[in-house]
Amino acid sequence: MNDQAMKQFLLHLDETLKLGRKFIIQDLDENHLFISADILDTLQAKIDDLMDQISFPLAEKRGIKHSFFFSQKS
Amino acid sequence: MADNGLGSSNQESTLIRQNNLECKNLYDYLKTRPPNILEKLYNHPTICLAVYRELPELARQYVIRILFVDQPVPQAVVASWGSQAFSKEHVYVSKVLSELSVWQEATIPGGLLGWILSPTFKKNLKVALLGGGKAWSMSSALEADSKARDVTFLDAYSLERWECVLHYMVGSQQQEGISADAVRILLHAGLMKRDEDDGSPVITRQGFQFLLLDRQAQVWHFLLQYLDTVEERGLDLVECLTFLFQLSFSTLGKRKAGRFYPTRLALNITNSQNKNTPDIEEDTPKGYIVVETNYRVYAYTDSNLQVALIGLFTELMYRFPNLVVGVITRDSVRQALRGGITADQIIGYLKQHAHVQMLHAENRQPLPPTVVDQIKLWELERNRLTYNEGVLYSQFLSQADFNVLKEYAQTNGSLIWYNKERRTLVINKSAHDDVKKFLEEIF
Amino acid sequence: MGPPKRFSGKGEGRASKKRKKEEEEAWTYEEDDTNDVEEAAVPGAAARDAEKNDQNALEDEFGAKDYRSQMALKPDNASRPLWVAPNGHIFLESFSPVYKHAHDFLIAISEPVCRPEHIHEYKLTAYSLYAAVSVGLQTNDIIEYLKRLSKTSIPDGIIEFIKLCTLSYGKVKLVLKHNKYFVESPFPDILQKLLKDPVIQECRLRRNVENETEELITQTRKIFLHLVQSPVLPGTKLETEMGLQLQYQMISRISTKKSITKKEEEETSLQTVSFEVNQEKIEVLQKRCIELEHPLLAEYDFRNDTVNPDINVDLRPSAVLRPYQEKSLRKMFGNGRARSGVIVLPCGAGKSLVGVTACCTVRKRALVLCNSGVSVEQWKQQFKMWSTADDSMICRFTSEAKDKPMRRSWEAEQTMKWLQEQEWGIMVLDEVHTIPAKMFRRVLTIVQSHCKLGLTATLLREDDKIADLNFLIGPKLYEANWLELQKRGYIARVQCAEVWCPMTPEFYREYLVCRTSKRLLLYVMNPNKFRATQYLIRYHERRGDKTIVFFR
Repeated sequence: MNDQAMKQFLLHLDETLKLGRKFIIQDLDENHLFISADILDTLQAKIDDLMDQISFPLAEKRGIKHSFFFSQKS
Repeated sequence: MADNGLGSSNQESTLIRQNNLECKNLYDYLKTRPPNILEKLYNHPTICLAVYRELPELARQYVIRILFVDQPVPQAVVASWGSQAFSKEHVYVSKVLSELSVWQEATIPGGLLGWILSPTFKKNLKVALLGGGKAWSMSSALEADSKARDVTFLDAYSLERWECVLHYMVGSQQQEGISADAVRILLHAGLMKRDEDDGSPVITRQGFQFLLLDRQAQVWHFLLQYLDTVEERGLDLVECLTFLFQLSFSTLGKRKAGRFYPTRLALNITNSQNKNTPDIEEDTPKGYIVVETNYRVYAYTDSNLQVALIGLFTELMYRFPNLVVGVITRDSVRQALRGGITADQIIGYLKQHAHVQMLHAENRQPLPPTVVDQIKLWELERNRLTYNEGVLYSQFLSQADFNVLKEYAQTNGSLIWYNKERRTLVINKSAHDDVKKFLEEIF
Repeated sequence: MGPPKRFSGKGEGRASKKRKKEEEEAWTYEEDDTNDVEEAAVPGAAARDAEKNDQNALEDEFGAKDYRSQMALKPDNASRPLWVAPNGHIFLESFSPVYKHAHDFLIAISEPVCRPEHIHEYKLTAYSLYAAVSVGLQTNDIIEYLKRLSKTSIPDGIIEFIKLCTLSYGKVKLVLKHNKYFVESPFPDILQKLLKDPVIQECRLRRNVENETEELITQTRKIFLHLVQSPVLPGTKLETEMGLQLQYQMISRISTKKSITKKEEEETSLQTVSFEVNQEKIEVLQKRCIELEHPLLAEYDFRNDTVNPDINVDLRPSAVLRPYQEKSLRKMFGNGRARSGVIVLPCGAGKSLVGVTACCTVRKRALVLCNSGVSVEQWKQQFKMWSTADDSMICRFTSEAKDKPMRRSWEAEQTMKWLQEQEWGIMVLDEVHTIPAKMFRRVLTIVQSHCKLGLTATLLREDDKIADLNFLIGPKLYEANWLELQKRGYIARVQCAEVWCPMTPEFYREYLVCRTSKRLLLYVMNPNKFRATQYLIRYHERRGDKTIVFFR
């Protein structure tokens, strides 16, 4: 998969010890990293966080676009 | 040369091995049975006929052509029956017939290899096709039932019973009347598992996938799982299978055994590959789902099961007597994805049950393309990285050494990544032991 | 401080001619925070919200609000088009054979929430119901039609809500005729009730001081007659809102034919009672009526206004109204008078033609409030295109006079004074949702206008001041369905595509380590995004499309 930005994200996590420790064993090429297997679940959780941050709600859940009535101070 | 095993770990992450539901058909099931079981099964004409019907068309041709031949037929002769253009099919059906022990290899005097039908299969298929032998069912001696069940009753009954199982799986409160046996099978099949806290059965990722299958596939899968447990209970697998096959040859609603009225569910057991036969009535398309471009979902239903199914990937908002209103959100879809449901399964389910109005829409698409794309995008965003569990080999002393190992890994399909200049390669972890052995042998 | 706003005025007679030379003079509206305008009063019932009705609704096992116990499915539900939820949300099948009628009805009584292809969602609000009664619907009609259209029984809470919001609303009107203000109502008991209030007694104008127990003025009016005479909507079918909604032929077997005929007769001759009020006390009166839960609807009997001179302006024969434009205007002029309110039409659906037509119908001095200089020019163009108004009749007031900064404030003062002195027949407020509420109130106190028409593409405001807006201008009179206009080819098709452009590795690397303030720069300048944008621009240019690019 050609997602070089993602690779940069992993390098960043590794360098800044964001997952608590280093986990990249070898930088293979622009699309491949050799990493320690036991970090996988932590890493996926971190990626989920990232995706949560950059996504925005598509549909308004309760569909109330027109909230007309707010009690007015007199 | 160093074996850099750092990358390996015994922990099996679900990210690497997604245990997806394996759905077998009759052929897949039988070919994994040991030959002695197959031999026993072929003692029953019904089973021979069922197996014969399930064979690929070309295989059926072969069987019929040699059914009355007592000598082995040279393999080259069999191969010559079809056009050269279809040699692939020939190779395939030959394999199928061998795996099912329908025929076996035999040496023809003179040294040629030939095919001959297994004697038991041959004998009993003849009985099935030509008649004779014992009656297939145990019903002949039974007198008329004063309370005969009609087809409508049976359809309703089977639907109700089957939905009971499905309801139970989705944890619906609507769940009386499921037997302990059925629960045991669900657990055995991995469709449900015991909750770690209170031990009550909860649905698994495979269970979700199971729910999105069509009814016939569900029944067949369930039966296979049942058969798996048969021997532990001290029942005879052959007897069970024989009974099932006999049942599947019955006529809908016609009284067969003293206590059995076969329903469509049972009749379709051996029809698992044949999608042209009339389907189970409740499965005939009665679309009830409307999906809007704003991700709203409207489902015309009062069935708790259908609501539960939609609820797998939709955030439900309102429940009217005959309508459910919900919305597909990133969270609701991700929850489904995490549960092992794929984007294609969600889209497939929505398409399969699309309300007739969706097809009348301007663009005649059962689903808004934007929604389909978005569901797929949500799946993709979870898979921005792919993981392979591997072992890294580097520091080869010579290019030649590197090449030898690279070629070895390439031929057994375990090479994940390599770089010639750096003399580094990554091999699938499962092949690590083989590679070690191979290295010991040659160096 | 809001941004400067510009006024465009269209007037006639001495005043405008006098000002003709100075029409390019600047006049900038300065908003000051120390204004003496009081907070707009909003009736208590307006704060009621059906949304709260289902707080007690149980959730079913799947997390949905379970309404099943609150309603019974009718056996013939398939032939009926909608569901009503206890929280006021209504779901309508757009593919129902009676869709058109149900749609007209729902537009009159509720707010559209979303209207995609198959099932539309509406919501009953206190305000939408106020709007419904103000165009002539009555409590029982609303409940009856809703019952008839619903696939299920109507939840009790909803019936209560409709009653609460409609029983007192829309029953009393403030009418200006022959330059006298009257409070008018078809319900004598309500007027009697109002007159018992001391504040309102103060506002009442008694021509005959000796007679303490002056009778109410009783008047019978034929409302259809006015419609026929309308020069704007010639030959249109005589349809009141009521008439429209009564045509449920598809489900006529369940309708009560009798009541329809009766209703029509009633509509043709309407008996009203009224009392005159003191012009200086109008504002006090309006406020007091709101407090008493009887907000006054403003109606302008422009045909009988002999004090303000008619302006000789008509629609050109080339100005042909589209059905939805006509429908929206019919809501405004339905009873031969001009109602104040808001008309919602999507961009490109011809809002200005609606505005021009309204002005040509009233045929009195008209004022158009715009939100940009460009818009002022456009309105002038539109007036010249659709109506017989020419340059001599149109005055623009904008702030584009940079060469005379010293005279500017003087001009502004003069202009303001002039605007204040006029009695305007109609004021059109363009893009009404963009006008800051405070500014808006200020304008409304400066400008004396008999009737106000708000035009907008959306009733969505960022400052939650919709309630203000509606009570200041009037109820929403009409809202067009975007998708339907699109389907019929009146407005352009909209297609929306999302293209993800991952940052280049170099940019993303920097992005991850740099300060937040610099991040913006990096993602705005993302080369992949530029490339994608460039590709799209070229693609559309080659097809001859016009392109506009927004960046963030």
